Amino acid sequence: MKNTFIMKRAAWMLLIAAALVFGGPRAYAAIDGITGPTFNLTARAGYISTSEGGSYLMWGYADGAGLMQYPGPTLIVNQGDLVTVNLSNQLTVPVSIVFPGQSGVTAVGGTTGLLTSEAPAAGGTVTYSFTAAQPGTYTYYSGTRPELQIEMGLMGALIVRPTVNPATRAYGHSDSQFDHEYLFLLSEMDPDIHDQVAAGNMNPMDTTTYFPVYWFINGRTAPDTMGMAHDPLLPHQPYNIVPFMHPGEKVLLRMIGGGRDLHPFHTHGNHHKVIARDGRMLSSGVGADLAEMAFTTTVVPGSTADAIFTWTGEKLGWDMYGYTNATHPAYCSASGNPTAAYPADKLSQLPTDRCKPFPVTLPDQTDITNGQFYSGSPFLGSMGYIPPGEGGYNPNSGFLYMWHSHAEKEITNFDIFPGGMLTMLFIEAPGVTLMEP
Amino acid sequence: MKASRLLSLIGLQLIAIVLISFSLSEGAIQVQCPGDTDGDGLWTGTEVQPPNTQCIHLAAGDGFVTMADGHLQYTFGFSDITGVLPEDVMRTGMLAAEFPGPSIKVKEGANVYLTLTNVGMIMRPDLFDPHSVHFHGFPNAAPIFDGEPMSSISINMGSSLTYYYTTPDPGTYMYHCHVEATEHMQMGMLANLWVTPLQDGATVGGCASQKYVFNDGDGSTCYDVDFPIQLSGFDSNFHDLHIAVQPLPFALMKDNYPMINGRGYPDTINPGPLPAPVIDGETGAVSQKVSSMISATAGQKVLLRVSSLATVDFYTLSVLGIPMRVVGRDAKILRSSSGQNLSYTTTSVTLGGGESYEVILDTAGVAPGTYFLYTTDLNNLSNSGEDFGGMMTEIDIL
Repeated sequence: MKNTFIMKRAAWMLLIAAALVFGGPRAYAAIDGITGPTFNLTARAGYISTSEGGSYLMWGYADGAGLMQYPGPTLIVNQGDLVTVNLSNQLTVPVSIVFPGQSGVTAVGGTTGLLTSEAPAAGGTVTYSFTAAQPGTYTYYSGTRPELQIEMGLMGALIVRPTVNPATRAYGHSDSQFDHEYLFLLSEMDPDIHDQVAAGNMNPMDTTTYFPVYWFINGRTAPDTMGMAHDPLLPHQPYNIVPFMHPGEKVLLRMIGGGRDLHPFHTHGNHHKVIARDGRMLSSGVGADLAEMAFTTTVVPGSTADAIFTWTGEKLGWDMYGYTNATHPAYCSASGNPTAAYPADKLSQLPTDRCKPFPVTLPDQTDITNGQFYSGSPFLGSMGYIPPGEGGYNPNSGFLYMWHSHAEKEITNFDIFPGGMLTMLFIEAPGVTLMEP
Repeated sequence: MKASRLLSLIGLQLIAIVLISFSLSEGAIQVQCPGDTDGDGLWTGTEVQPPNTQCIHLAAGDGFVTMADGHLQYTFGFSDITGVLPEDVMRTGMLAAEFPGPSIKVKEGANVYLTLTNVGMIMRPDLFDPHSVHFHGFPNAAPIFDGEPMSSISINMGSSLTYYYTTPDPGTYMYHCHVEATEHMQMGMLANLWVTPLQDGATVGGCASQKYVFNDGDGSTCYDVDFPIQLSGFDSNFHDLHIAVQPLPFALMKDNYPMINGRGYPDTINPGPLPAPVIDGETGAVSQKVSSMISATAGQKVLLRVSSLATVDFYTLSVLGIPMRVVGRDAKILRSSSGQNLSYTTTSVTLGGGESYEVILDTAGVAPGTYFLYTTDLNNLSNSGEDFGGMMTEIDIL
């Protein structure tokens, strides 16, 4: 069957249009969220959309009077902040929040629950406070009937920025330096549970027969993961996930297991270096010296991992810009070596790869199937011939890489391939303005 | 599967062969291999192999394999057709899919020209799927040779695409088709792939075998014998519905045949290829060639190149009676940034799809006998309904 990646919505075109209109250089890409130290969250119900057209009842944390959202707002605070979270409850059941990895969390008001104080149903409130002592990536979720309420969507991310270089480092140390940062909050869903809750059948609810058929990054299934953030067509799923970078830049992945299953998350393109787990650098005392290189990282429920990804294209054995003596004699000498005029912004490519010819002849157009993210050329920043109706989702002819769950069952949306826990990394040619969708 | 249905499919095969032959005559099957002039991917006669160059020719198509309980499974897969002349490629590659695919072993720094020819899925003539090779874990990959079809190209039936790699980093990788990955990987387009280090052949740290997992500089990853151990699972319902030309159950996918190198126990310990599958009385191509029988003499260091390409489950592997020293993960040596050795001894490793471990079993002082490598997710010690099987193999210490 033909691999047609049908976009149910014109989200991609909107994204590209928005980027062309609003795109501009920024020092770094910050993660979408709300900043503290005081947050007013409201637990509410609402319906999310899945990419193949499904619609499911969820419970989630809203920002104040805003809409229920899945996942809850990403709470961004600074190291040392006294964080206050005022939770009010518009659901018909009690609800609460726990903050794994934070010490000395106090709760004021509400009623006593098993794990923490709870905001009673239908208008109850409770206030949590803690000092965000350590920088890092954390999660928060309901501590009330969590086997049901986390599945229903009551979870989110908490980011504590370090005192030192908060905008460009995850942990203050230079080993956690990044140019761009992205959240990868992974979760999954069994629609039967949501249908049962929607029908009012909550007691008892057998969650042990759990069998997920949807998989999410930041609350969206692919291809919606790659739509624009705050898309009005996805009012309850404001967060997207489309990482962008230039060669040689560093991308910080803040990965969180937000559901109940393990997910092997694979970065095409290169290894990533896991520098921290659960909000602590992998360190014997000197930076992230115990960091682990991985091409696939298991993201564990309730746990977080931070990784640095970079890509230079080194040792490809050919010039990734397609420069040779034949095509660019100013850049490449007759002996196949780079000249002093070789473009300065493309020097992140190793000297041994520069000016080396592409090693093979690609098949004729009639013999290949073009991907919708293929530029028509093997070279970074070059556009080649693509037959009408093919390609088209790579306007700057970047190098694109799928980042996805390598449990390949999880890149589907309820029997529809492709979808689920999948997005594309854009590596754009030097000088190309990165989109910030 | 009904015999009449199979016969009708075979009739369609003949039509497909005729159709594909037309594209063949257009010369779309082409092996690109420096120094090779007759297009078979080998250097023979007056052909000269350039230094440091390796050529591989894989066919991608369909075939059949036999599960350890005798259940026949329809598969997609790769077969090694290196050395086959272009005019013989289609008839050699068709219905010859192997599971796992041919193991690829390359030297660090080699110029590898891997040609993939799509020979079509003859048992599913209604399909026109392209195929690809994804060199999983390849450092600093370029999309054009990454095999991920959305961001590059994939090859149509009756045609060839040559991938090029410089294999800069040693370690245990894997390769698989990335086209419609959930389907093609569940259907069996999976294989072992590893890169041996430049340090091989030199004596470092008193390593008599002169074989190492990585360029360790101190001989700490020295081994005597190595074995690929690739984990995967089949959902027989998915495969049965596939050959019956039914909608595929992605959401309900649930593996019931956990395997090592494409076999369940006790087939894992068969040292040779499994007998060719028999389809409606016709003998097919030998399709399960990778044994998981591990044997060594006491005192040897046994390297297990463990990888997982399971599309559904995580698996935990354990060795009973011999400590497992993990020296690498995802094709990287376990070292701190200051060079401290972070290898560790354990009794199990846990892998999701797309993860790999290099594990050394030091058999010094281990009594000769039979030891077991098996999953401790005990429900996976089965071949569907048949117990005492599944993801297990034996280690013979002589």
